[in-house]
Amino acid sequence: MRALPRLLLARIAFRSFFLQSSWNYRGMMSMGFLYSIRPGIDQLHSPGPAREAAYMRHLEYFNTNPYFASVVMGVTLALEERLSHGEIGEEVIHDTKEGLMTACAAIGDGLFWDSWRPFVAVVALIFAFGNYLLTPLIFLVLYNLPHLYFRFAGIFWGYREGTHVIKTLRQFQFPQIRQNLRLGTMVLLAYLIPNHVNVHTPFLLTNLPLEYFYFGEKVVQGLGALLLVTLGTVAYRARVDVLLISFLLMVCALVLYHWGILI
Amino acid sequence: MPEHLTASLLIALIGGIVDLDSTATWQFMISQPIVAAPLTGLFLGGIYGEAAAGLKLGLMVGVILQLLWIEQLPLGMNVPPDAALASVLSVALGFISGHSNESYSEREVCYTVALLLSVALGLLGRSLDMFVRRLNTSLDTWVCQKVEDNSLWAIALGHTLGGVFTFTKAFVFCFLVVWLGVEPLKYFTQSLSFKHGSGFIVVQGLLPAIGFSVLASMVLKSREEIRYFVGGIIAFTLLPAKLWLGLGAALVVMYRNRPAGVKK
Repeated sequence: MRALPRLLLARIAFRSFFLQSSWNYRGMMSMGFLYSIRPGIDQLHSPGPAREAAYMRHLEYFNTNPYFASVVMGVTLALEERLSHGEIGEEVIHDTKEGLMTACAAIGDGLFWDSWRPFVAVVALIFAFGNYLLTPLIFLVLYNLPHLYFRFAGIFWGYREGTHVIKTLRQFQFPQIRQNLRLGTMVLLAYLIPNHVNVHTPFLLTNLPLEYFYFGEKVVQGLGALLLVTLGTVAYRARVDVLLISFLLMVCALVLYHWGILI
Repeated sequence: MPEHLTASLLIALIGGIVDLDSTATWQFMISQPIVAAPLTGLFLGGIYGEAAAGLKLGLMVGVILQLLWIEQLPLGMNVPPDAALASVLSVALGFISGHSNESYSEREVCYTVALLLSVALGLLGRSLDMFVRRLNTSLDTWVCQKVEDNSLWAIALGHTLGGVFTFTKAFVFCFLVVWLGVEPLKYFTQSLSFKHGSGFIVVQGLLPAIGFSVLASMVLKSREEIRYFVGGIIAFTLLPAKLWLGLGAALVVMYRNRPAGVKK
């Protein structure tokens, strides 16, 4: 019979929404971690030195991906329970937490920050460029489905499976998911670039017969956008700051506009 | 003036809430420009009786800032530019200074200048974020001492104070920028001649290219992918977009399932 009821675990997962409230340069998320798991600690350790030691234990450095933090919390609580029964020593909790937070940071950051967020953003951008007013809602719903799933399911996995939780996480094949999301982002981006960078020049109006104007406009816009994005990408990969690139673009655009090349 | 004060307070409140979301709490991504900017536009437009116009401005600003800072992430020690505050302030400054203008181009100039200004404000927001994190470090040391002294109430208090610092920082910053910034911005945009002002509309149309470049840098990993990507852009340029969107998806599936011999 496990000591922590499901409702309490759900409450801890809810408290993890506030994990980073007191993010700082010493313990990073340590205070938030302790704040989140405190109801579990209070349930597992009776008041006295054991509980105080548990508090101090979890005030040490902690940093991971916030959406996967609940997995670490679940495992930590499972280990705290074993510690309260005298089955393991404190150092096991310390070492496991340290290893797991690194693994969860790598999985979570790669999945959410590097793949899922750009993909959802690009999907939302397609709606936004079409002036679809519910775009923010689409972004929020789409983005938060996996977020809430991992946040709430993670604590149950962690608590139930302890250190074996890594096996459960492996089943998701995150590298494959990330690769597919990256390719999906690439296709959507290839669609967005020629259609939503506005490059217009007055030369077409004067030099092209009217029946070719629409086609000419599309070609100029597409190739112009491709040229701009290529230059931007080269500059960005050469570590030129994105704000400097924006500033240079602005100056160039104003000059070209002044000379009547762009309208 | 009372309308301006109400707007400033509303923006400060929205700024505080979305800034909490960016790192401190929830992380539902309300703080992402594509959400924060339209949300600001909707509420602000509501005050002036132009909710739809506010929402549309929010979408335009959201798109550009989302793209511009798509790679900026709050990982570990890294503190990115404050895109949430930049989005809120860009919409607020642009809308309040521009909504009373009669002509389309004058309004657009206000929006674009506010957008460019907000990028700088996002950098200032980063410095304020770092300041709050330093405050939190002192708070953390204080909490550790209190817990050692068996004053366990300090955990919840210290942790909550961290969130309060974040909210207060964003609230005060947004209020001051909107309260003090609208009039100078109006003055600046009115001082631009029509010809130079319209140039900013051209800039607005080109700015997404920067964001697309950043995103392309993120997703393109090999020369082969770059070739596919350029081919895709040319295809989308020449033929109807919706048809090619489907074909593009099919190409990805084919690329994913290519024979093992073709894979490196």
